[in-house]
Amino acid sequence: MHSAEGLALARAGNLQSAEAELRKAADLAPANEGCLVDLATVLAMEKKFDESTSYFRRALKINPHDVLARRYLGANLWQLHRYAEARQNLRILLNTNPNDPQALLLLGMVSENTGDYAAAAKMLASVPTLVRAQPESVAALARSYYHIGETEKARAWLDELQNHQAGIQAALLGAQVADEMQDYKTAEAFLSSVAPRYSDQNELRYRIALVKFHAQQFEESRQLLRELMDDGYRTGEVNRLLASCFRAQNRHEEAIHTLQEAIELNPLDETSYLDLASILLDQKRISQAMDLAQRMAKAFPHSSRVFVSKGSLELGANDFIDAVSSFTRAAQLEPNSPDATIGLARAEANAGMTERAKATLDSAIGRFPEKAPFELELGQVLLKEAETGDKNAAVRAEQLFHSAVAHDDKLAEAHYELGELALHRGETARALIHLEKAAKLVPSSAKTHFALSRVYRRLGREREAAEQAALFDKLGE
Amino acid sequence: MSSSCHRSHLPTNRECYRAPRRLFFLSLTALLSFTSLTFLQHSPSPAHKEIFSDVTEQARIVWRHFSGESPDRFLIETMGGGVAFLDFDGDGFEDLFFVNGGETPHGKSSSPIRNALYRNLGNGEFEDVAAKAGVDRLAFYGMGVAAGDFDNDGFPDLYVTGFPSSALFHNNGDGSFADITDRAGVKDAGKWAASAAWFDFDRDGYLDLVVTNYAQFSFDDAKRCELHGTRTYCEQKAYAGMPLTLYHNNGDGTFTDVSEHSGLAGLVGRALGVIAVDVNDDGWTDLFVARDASPNLLLINQKDGTFRDAAIPAEVAYNSDGVAKAGMGVDAGDLNGDGKPDFVVTNFNDEYSSLFVSGPSLVFDDRTIASRLAEYTKPYVGWGIHFIDYDNDGHLDLLIANGHINQVIEATRLDVKYMEPPLLLRNNGKGVFQDMREQVGAVFQSGYRARGLAVGDFDNDGGLDAVFTRLDGKPVLLHNNVGQNHSWVGFELQGTRSNRDAIGAKITVEIGSRKLVRWITGGASYLSSHDKRVVVGTRDDSSTPINAEIRWPSGTLQRLARLERNRYHEIVEPSAN
Repeated sequence: MHSAEGLALARAGNLQSAEAELRKAADLAPANEGCLVDLATVLAMEKKFDESTSYFRRALKINPHDVLARRYLGANLWQLHRYAEARQNLRILLNTNPNDPQALLLLGMVSENTGDYAAAAKMLASVPTLVRAQPESVAALARSYYHIGETEKARAWLDELQNHQAGIQAALLGAQVADEMQDYKTAEAFLSSVAPRYSDQNELRYRIALVKFHAQQFEESRQLLRELMDDGYRTGEVNRLLASCFRAQNRHEEAIHTLQEAIELNPLDETSYLDLASILLDQKRISQAMDLAQRMAKAFPHSSRVFVSKGSLELGANDFIDAVSSFTRAAQLEPNSPDATIGLARAEANAGMTERAKATLDSAIGRFPEKAPFELELGQVLLKEAETGDKNAAVRAEQLFHSAVAHDDKLAEAHYELGELALHRGETARALIHLEKAAKLVPSSAKTHFALSRVYRRLGREREAAEQAALFDKLGE
Repeated sequence: MSSSCHRSHLPTNRECYRAPRRLFFLSLTALLSFTSLTFLQHSPSPAHKEIFSDVTEQARIVWRHFSGESPDRFLIETMGGGVAFLDFDGDGFEDLFFVNGGETPHGKSSSPIRNALYRNLGNGEFEDVAAKAGVDRLAFYGMGVAAGDFDNDGFPDLYVTGFPSSALFHNNGDGSFADITDRAGVKDAGKWAASAAWFDFDRDGYLDLVVTNYAQFSFDDAKRCELHGTRTYCEQKAYAGMPLTLYHNNGDGTFTDVSEHSGLAGLVGRALGVIAVDVNDDGWTDLFVARDASPNLLLINQKDGTFRDAAIPAEVAYNSDGVAKAGMGVDAGDLNGDGKPDFVVTNFNDEYSSLFVSGPSLVFDDRTIASRLAEYTKPYVGWGIHFIDYDNDGHLDLLIANGHINQVIEATRLDVKYMEPPLLLRNNGKGVFQDMREQVGAVFQSGYRARGLAVGDFDNDGGLDAVFTRLDGKPVLLHNNVGQNHSWVGFELQGTRSNRDAIGAKITVEIGSRKLVRWITGGASYLSSHDKRVVVGTRDDSSTPINAEIRWPSGTLQRLARLERNRYHEIVEPSAN
C-alpha cells in the first residue's frame, strides 16, 4: 500500500512525500527488490545519490539481473564521479544487453569523463537519438571527436546545439565546448549567432572577450572589455579578465591595479583576491602579498580556497610554519581538497616536520581517488630523506613514482624524477625514455632540458646535448 | 740523505742584511717556542683531549669584527670577515691578519674600525701590530684578504678586498706595509669584491691576481625584504651579478687589467669564492669560481692569456636539477687519490655543500650524497671550507664554518638555526665522511655566525690549526691537538724561476706504493688566505722511505728522496730538472 501510494506521489511530483511512503514500504519489506528500486529511484530524482546508490546495490544483491536497477546505479555513480564503479556496472549490463541504448549513452559519458575518447565517440555515436536529446551528451560527443582529431564531426555535432530544444543555454554550451577545445573561430561564431536572441548582450560580449583571451588575442579582448566597462558593465568578472589580459602581456602593474579595483567593486568576491594574490606571488612582491593574505583570511574565515592561497603565499615567502597553519585550516574547512592537502604536506616538509608530511601524504593516498599527485609528493619527500642517509626511503620513493605514472601517465614531474634516478644509476637508456616523455608533456620545464642535455652527453650525442642545453639556457632566463 | 736545499741564486743584498737578524730571531723564537711548548704540554686543561681547542683567549686575540648591521639590512652587513695566515715578518711563525667590515649609513661604530695584524710571538700568544704595520685602516668596507709575495722579495703582501674598492699593501720587509694600490693599478674600483687569489696564469714567475666581484650594490639603494613580518636581508637574486677581474703582474710593481682580454670580464655572476689550481694537470693553473645563485665556473687556462669556462660539460656549474646553488666558499684536494683535484663548495641550507670528484675527460662526479656530505650539511649555511688532514692519517678531511643570515629563520622552520656550529668531517679513506662533533671539542657544539676560515700551522708542530671569523664577534683560533698522533712531512717551497710562493706547484709524495698528491693553491675557502706550506700526513709507517716529486709552476721537475718525517723541509726551486 505504501509502495503504491509512494509511486503515485512520485508521479505527481511530490517527491518528499513519495520518499516517506516508499521508506515505509521498504522497512516493511526489506527483501522486496521492487520497493528498494522504487525508493532508490525517488532518492535519485531528489539528487540524494549516495543513499540512492546504496538502495540500488541492495536491490541488485537480491536480483543481480535487474537491468533497470543496474542502469540507474550506473547513472548514480556517474553523477557521483565514481567512474570506475560506473564503468564496471554498465559493462555488466552491456554484457547481457549489448545494445542497451541508455547503458551505451551512460558508458559513453563515463568514457569521455575518464579520457577514453575513442571509446566515448564510438559509444555515443551509436545512440544518436539519445545523444541529441541532451545538450550535455552532445557536448561530450563533440569533445570526444575533437580529442581524436575528427574536428569536422565535432563541429557538426556542435551545430546541433545551435537551435537545440533546450534553448540558448545549449548554444552557449556549444560555444564553451569549442572554446575549451581551442576551436576559437567556432566558439566566436556560435556566440555571434546567438546574439540576436540573447537578452544579456553584456554577458555575451564578456564571453566573446573570454574566447579572444583564450585565443591569445589580448588586445582585442581588452578592447571589448574596456567597451563593456565604458558602457557601465563593471563586474568583478570583467575586471578579472582584464587583469588576466594585462598579466598575459606582462603589464603586471596594470593587472594589479585592475584587480584592486575589482576588490573595491565587490569586496565579497574572493576570486579577485585570489587572482591578486597569485600575481603578487609571481612578481615576488612578498610584503604586499602577505598583507593581502591577512586581509583575505579576515574577510573569508571559512573559505578553504582563501587559506590555500594564504598558505601558498607563505610558502612562497619561506614562512613555512605559518604556511602549515594556513593549510591546516584549509584542510579542516575542506577535507577533500587536494590542493589543501598537498599544500599542507609541502609546508610540513619545508618546515622540518618531515614525519608529519609523510603521514599527511600517506593518509591522502588512502583517501583520495586521484592518488598520483600525492604519490609524487610523497616520493619527493622520501627522496630528500634518502639524500641525507635513509637508503630505504630511496627505494620507496622510486616505487611511488612508478605508481604515480601508472595512475596518471601525464604526470611530467614523476617521469622527470624517474629519469633522474635512472641517470644517477647510469641507466641512460631508461633515463632518456622518462625524460623525453617529461619534456613532451611540459616543454617549458628548464630542468628537464638540463637533465636531457646530460643524458645526451653521456650517450655521446653532442649535437642533441647542445640543443637541450640551449633550451635550458633560454627557459632559465 | 741528500740535501733538501738547492739554492740556485745568490741572495740579494737585502736578504743578506736580513739573514743574520732572521737567524737571531729564529734562535730566540725557537727558545721561546720550546718554552711555550713545554708550557702547553704541562698546562692542565681538559681541552687537551679535544681534537681542536679554542685557544683564542690564550692567544690574546681580542679583536672584534664590525659589520655595520643596521635596520636597512644591506646585504654586505652579513657577508664579510676574511682572515689570513701569513708569516709577514719572516720569523718562521705564521701570523694572522683579520679584515674588518665597516660602517653603513645607519650602522655606526662607537670606535674606529680597524683590521688586526696579529704577530705570532711563538709562545702561543699573539700581538696586534696592525697600526704599527700600517694595515689597520681601510678606506672602504672590508671583505676578504689574499696574502701573496707578488714581487718575490720574500715577504708576503696583502690584497684586501671590499666595497667599493680594494687595496694592495706591499710588505716592506721591516714590519711595515705600504698602500700601493693606485701605483699598482689594482683598485678594482666601483666593485664589491669578495675573495681574491694570487696565481701565475702566464708562468712568467710573477703572481697575478684574480678578484671575485659579487654584486651590483649601493648604500643608496636599500632594498626592502621581509621574512615573517620582520625586515630581513634580501636574497642574493635581488642583486645583479658582476664580472671577474684579472690583473696581470707586470713584474715592476704594476699590474694590467686583462679582464677583457682573458675572457673573464664576460662572465657575469655573483662570484664569492675562488681557488687557483691545475685542474687538468697540464702544468698551467686554472680557476674554480664558486658563485652565489649563478652557475659555478671552471676556467681552464688556455695558455695564451685566456680562459675557457668548462663548468657545464664538467657538470660542476649546477646541481642535478639545473639550479645554480648559493656557492660561497671553495677548496680543492685529491680526495679519491687519482692525482687530480676534486672540489668542495659551500652552499645554503637545504642545498648541501657540494663535492665534485674528478673523473675521466674533465667530467666530475657529484658525490655530495654518496660521501654523506649532504647529510651533514643540509641544515647549515656554509661559508669558509677547507680540506685538512687533521690527524695526519693521509686522508683529506673537511672543516666548514657555518652561520645563517636571517635572524628570524627559527620562526619559520624547526630544522634550521640562526647560529650554527662549525663542522669537522673525517674522511674514512674511501671518500665518505663522518661527523666528528662528539670528539672534536666544545667549539663544535656551539652556534656561531661564522664566515671566513683559514688553515695554518701556527705552532709548527705539524698539526694543522685553523681560525674562523664571526660577524660582529671575536674570531676563534683553534689549536690542533692530534696532528702529532701520526707522522707527517712538511713542505715549504721557495720558487726561483717560479713565483717565490710556488703557487701552482704540485707535490706528489710517495710512501711505498702510496702516492699522495697536494698542491700549493691560490685562494680557497671564503674571503681567506692560508699557510702556504703543505703538510702531508704519512700515518705511522716510519720504516718506509718518503720520496717526493715537485712539479714547480715553471715546469721544472724535482725529485726528493728519503725525506725526514715530522719536520718542514725548506725547498728552493732548482735551476733545471
